[in-house]
Amino acid sequence: MADLQINSESVFNFEQCLKCSVCTVYCPVSAVNPAYPGPKQAGPDGERYRLKSPVFFDENLKKCLNCKRCEVSCPQNVKVGDIIQKARMKYSTHKPGLRDRMLASTDFVGTMANRFAPIVNIMLAMKLTKTVMHGTIGVDKHRQFPAYSAQRFETWFKRHAQAEQSQYSKQVSYFHGCYVNYNFPKLGQDLVKIMNAVGYGVQLLDKEKCCGVAKIANGLYDQAKKHGKINIDSIRKAKEAGRVTLTTSSTCCFTIRDEYEHILELPQEDVRESVNLATRFLFQLLDEGKIKLAFRSDYKKHVAYHSACHMERMGWVVYSTELLKLIPGVQLTMLDSQCCGISGTYGFKRENYEVSQTIGAPLFAQIKALAPDCVSTDCETCKWQIEMSTGVPVENPISIIADALDVELTKQLNAN
Amino acid sequence: MKFNTIIIGGGLSGLTAGLALQKAGQRVAIVSKGQSTLHFNPASFDLLGYDATGAAVEHPLQAIAALPATHPYSKCTNVEALAQEAQALLEESGISLIGTAAANHYRITPMGVLKPAWLTLADYATTEQGTALPWKKVALINAIGCLDFPTKFIAAGLRKAGTEVDVKAFTLPELEKQRQSPSEMRATNIAKVLSTANVVARMAQAINAQIAGTTYDAVLLPGVLQNPDLVAQLKSQVSTPVHFIATLPPSAAGVHVQTLLRQRFIAAGGVHLTGDKVVGGTIESGILKSVTTENLIDTRLEANHFILATGSFMSGGMDSNYESVFETVFGLDVDALQVPSERVKFNVFEAQPYMEFGVSTNEKLQVKKDGQEISNCYAVGSVLSGANRVKQSCGTGISMLTALQVVKHILNK
Amino acid sequence: MDVKLKDKYDVIVIGGGITGAGTARDCAMRGLSVLLIERFDFAHGATGRNHGLLHSGARYAVTDQESATECIQENTILRKIAAHCVEPTDGLFITLPDDDLAYQSTFVESCKRAGIRADIIDPEQAKILEPSVNPTLIGAVRVPDASVDPFRLTVANVTDARLHGADTVTYHEVTDLIIDQNRVVGVKMRDQRTGEIRQAYASLTINAAGIWGMLVAKKAGITVNMFPAKGALLIFGHRVNNMVINRCRKPANADILVPDDAVCVIGTTSDRVPIEQCDDMRVTDEEVKVLLQEGARLAPALASTRILRAYAGVRPLVASDNDPSGRSISRGIVVLDHATRDGMEGFVTITGGKMMTYRLMAEMVTDLACKKLNVSKSCATATTPLPGSEAKTAPEAMRTYSFAQKSADGRHGTYTKDIHTPDSLHSALVCECEGVSVAEVDYAVAHQNVTNLIDLRRRTRMGMGTCQGHLCSCRAAGELCQGNHAQEAAEDLASFVNERWKGIKPVAWGAALCEAQLTATVYEGMCGLNQFVKEGGEK
Repeated sequence: MADLQINSESVFNFEQCLKCSVCTVYCPVSAVNPAYPGPKQAGPDGERYRLKSPVFFDENLKKCLNCKRCEVSCPQNVKVGDIIQKARMKYSTHKPGLRDRMLASTDFVGTMANRFAPIVNIMLAMKLTKTVMHGTIGVDKHRQFPAYSAQRFETWFKRHAQAEQSQYSKQVSYFHGCYVNYNFPKLGQDLVKIMNAVGYGVQLLDKEKCCGVAKIANGLYDQAKKHGKINIDSIRKAKEAGRVTLTTSSTCCFTIRDEYEHILELPQEDVRESVNLATRFLFQLLDEGKIKLAFRSDYKKHVAYHSACHMERMGWVVYSTELLKLIPGVQLTMLDSQCCGISGTYGFKRENYEVSQTIGAPLFAQIKALAPDCVSTDCETCKWQIEMSTGVPVENPISIIADALDVELTKQLNAN
Repeated sequence: MKFNTIIIGGGLSGLTAGLALQKAGQRVAIVSKGQSTLHFNPASFDLLGYDATGAAVEHPLQAIAALPATHPYSKCTNVEALAQEAQALLEESGISLIGTAAANHYRITPMGVLKPAWLTLADYATTEQGTALPWKKVALINAIGCLDFPTKFIAAGLRKAGTEVDVKAFTLPELEKQRQSPSEMRATNIAKVLSTANVVARMAQAINAQIAGTTYDAVLLPGVLQNPDLVAQLKSQVSTPVHFIATLPPSAAGVHVQTLLRQRFIAAGGVHLTGDKVVGGTIESGILKSVTTENLIDTRLEANHFILATGSFMSGGMDSNYESVFETVFGLDVDALQVPSERVKFNVFEAQPYMEFGVSTNEKLQVKKDGQEISNCYAVGSVLSGANRVKQSCGTGISMLTALQVVKHILNK
Repeated sequence: MDVKLKDKYDVIVIGGGITGAGTARDCAMRGLSVLLIERFDFAHGATGRNHGLLHSGARYAVTDQESATECIQENTILRKIAAHCVEPTDGLFITLPDDDLAYQSTFVESCKRAGIRADIIDPEQAKILEPSVNPTLIGAVRVPDASVDPFRLTVANVTDARLHGADTVTYHEVTDLIIDQNRVVGVKMRDQRTGEIRQAYASLTINAAGIWGMLVAKKAGITVNMFPAKGALLIFGHRVNNMVINRCRKPANADILVPDDAVCVIGTTSDRVPIEQCDDMRVTDEEVKVLLQEGARLAPALASTRILRAYAGVRPLVASDNDPSGRSISRGIVVLDHATRDGMEGFVTITGGKMMTYRLMAEMVTDLACKKLNVSKSCATATTPLPGSEAKTAPEAMRTYSFAQKSADGRHGTYTKDIHTPDSLHSALVCECEGVSVAEVDYAVAHQNVTNLIDLRRRTRMGMGTCQGHLCSCRAAGELCQGNHAQEAAEDLASFVNERWKGIKPVAWGAALCEAQLTATVYEGMCGLNQFVKEGGEK
């Protein structure tokens, strides 16, 4: 019986589900928010009935954080999170409101905010503003907005770094993402510092738009697609010029590599492997003996590593942690891998604030008990959440490496 | 990336091997595709519960000695010593246990049946004999709305063993809230709700209210508490001795065991590739040089030794289609019947042939591919052929003992 | 549920399949006092073991105009009176490259002659309408096929019979006909659970026992020439198709794929089997192979889709009386008045036909019964909606419903409003695959003659989903368990797990085998359910 019943397949493997319910153990939402049907019901169970009729779609699926921990835990490789996100995209009749559109437009809001950064930061920190936003558009008043930087990363790069990049024979492109551009240019500067030290020049992409993760989460699929296409084209151009594209955000990286294809159905197969996380890229070069890193002997830090959800889903935690282990002065503790509760814009919404903090509570307790010098994670929204909820500073592994790096010695080691 | 040993599979056997190798100073990686069958664990470990006739085994070590040469235990050189080592490993990881390899005790199942066991989590209800219980009268108290703790069956089983039972139920505002979800009132989710000292204190009050006015020898609760500190608190605050009985899966006890073992492995510097899957390997003249995984794509994971701890069909270590039964990672040689109708028997409770299918190994638990031995790749746990783990109640024992046996082979090389 | 029998009924109907249920309903609606007797559970036999296809009649148009006409008429009627049991999917008759495209015009002509709408559509259009269809098709005809749930349909008929005063008993096997000289005056029946023998009397006994009807007739010394034809089918894990897909050629093996609820079903084979086998039908490797090979030609995705289970039913085919050899087998409806045929008064047999012509069969035999009993009331079953189908809730209104309520609405129609969920305890899901709540289980037990888990499955789909009961059957058993009958409930659970396995066994590979191992690990390994297996008690 040639090729009959040799392979068993279904969209996102939804039918390979054995109903073992293991995903429900690792879902951060279902235990704290009973309105959410849980990954099993929302995912493979619901999908069977949605195939019968769209009437079986439940708007409560929007309560999914899209953390993908269900997928990581599934022994059968069922893409539970993808099933849920795709169902939202296909069946939801809910239209995003002003608040959701604002939160989703990280790049537009960022552009405006940078221009008036000092005022905006003060405004956003003011109790009155918070109360007004809480009451009017539904951004939770407890939330600290990440501060906006007065100078965008792109502006800094063009003024202070771009010119000297061409001196390097090897080049990479950098997808900095909205966070680095508007809120925290230092991370981008740190990456440039490291890459230059190991002999790589850094270039901006031809055109960069927000990766779209917030737009997907808020149901703005058409905009996400439009931006996604622009990003893919830019990454493709970089590839054609021989440059891989690095990111310092696990979420941007994950969105471009996986969500573009799975959720937005954007063809990106040809460029998927040329989008890489900076830590992974560095580790691979080290592993292959192509670069060397030298660290300052006076650098001492107890670092607790938090596995961000999308980092966990990509399975790339090991690259960042193996790099951190190379720094002699770093004492590394692995935090239990669990969701911090912010999930991008999710935790900013008034209706989600409490759930968001309840989800993160065990992680915050662990961090407080451990009292490290800093927490390290590859995700910017985890950084906001953990800093706000624990008071412990959070650094991207790239920033820790940049701080610990002996730049001169590294340059010498990589001179050839 | 280079390691001394790479273990494929993060369940009980993989973690056991990983922890034992770390103790010997090895750098170990575990590649774990999803979560493990510990999630269906009844808060007990078994060495051998039933013999070939289906009779309950009293002294597992003696009964193991009588097993055929194809049985995985027959490839363990000193079962008693390995069993002791396994018990020590669990205890070092923070799991309090009762039981010994010398004689089985009995656990109470969610259907109220008494089944032989080797080790049981110390807070769970057990009895020395298969026919009687250590209590004259108990209160069996469920959390209202937990459908995975069928009190009617458990009570019937307890009564059959001569114990008087009052069935009761408690609730808390937190549980009322959780019950608003029609599907998520599962033991493991209840465990997440009952996770602070404050909640547990009120749970104790609620239970005390249920048993007030009657004298019970024990309070029996569904296994919905994980944290040992909270269990201790509950025991101190409830006026009668408290014991748990495992619920239907997912099992809070199993999750607890899995979490502790995994945390210990990671804390000791082990690399745990969570949710990743080995997709291929390079075999050169009978040696497995490296493997690659789905997530790490082009990163070669190299090691001196490899351990296949991928489990049986339900864990994805074995699979089948219309044409054949096969090992999923490397396509290793298997012991299995290939004709579909021969793999199964008509009645579900008959000894099903497929249950014994698995990877074919030599006496040192080394695997073969196309007839050729791969000398640095070993198989452990449920992926091994030759045992009906369900019929014999020997799954967890085989997982831990074969893992420890392979660790000895690796360290002696 | 103990039923106190009346001293005498107008009519006893033997057989709680769709024909018997429909007959009981029709008789009761015409004012007759009725006792319906079923050996196991309603829809236990052939009724519950077919495609669940509401034929348009197109399949028979070329070969059997009479059947085709009956089908389209009943199809139109059932859409109205059994709306909650019918899903109007429409069907395609596709021509593949190795089929004769010339057959298509014969087919369409024959359909039209029988009154069946049959529109030739462009193959490309067919692919848009039904993306799973074999893309190499060279022709397609759209017909008003639909999918129908035989369990629901049977129970709705039984419910209505009861609403009209009928008594019904399940798990009672007719052991003897009570004959007074040349007249059947009643039956002896054995309660399958207690072994007790009871008697019931009636002016007329209607034999509606399907293939087993030949054994019932034998008890009156009457021979009915029947030919049990086994048909095997496979259930796939989800809906591959949303329209019925048929082959546009002479009827053959495995040429119909029907979307039923959350699954789809391919069938059938057709093989004559001895009557002794009809109570223990096993699907063979060979049948599975044929179904898969041919099924994949209708929808290629079937080749790699997870199979949930295999099952087989028996068609009660009847040879005409003047042909004892059985060569002239008809699929048409057969009403035998044993008074005129065999000189046995008070006894008639209704057989042959198809599930979907049950109402017409019931009408025909009830007409005969009324004539014999001198009742002049005419048949109203073609225009009176079945309970649950009175006025369908608008689907838009369902959006506020929970998953369980929405899926229950598909099962109970307007009666969903009687499934009370006063609190979260009742809205909790027992079966997560099929959305069966505690309240629905309670409802089925209280109102639908549910005595065990298998009955419950037929009423609610509990255990019919992807996991085939691994997650839900213990919960359901706990819910069903009453008073101090835990031992019996546990035995019932063991027998249910075994019943599920028997359908999985012929297709136990891939995810189905993984699932089976998980089920065994939980129920036997973790729980020790094997200790509740009743010796020889398997039905």
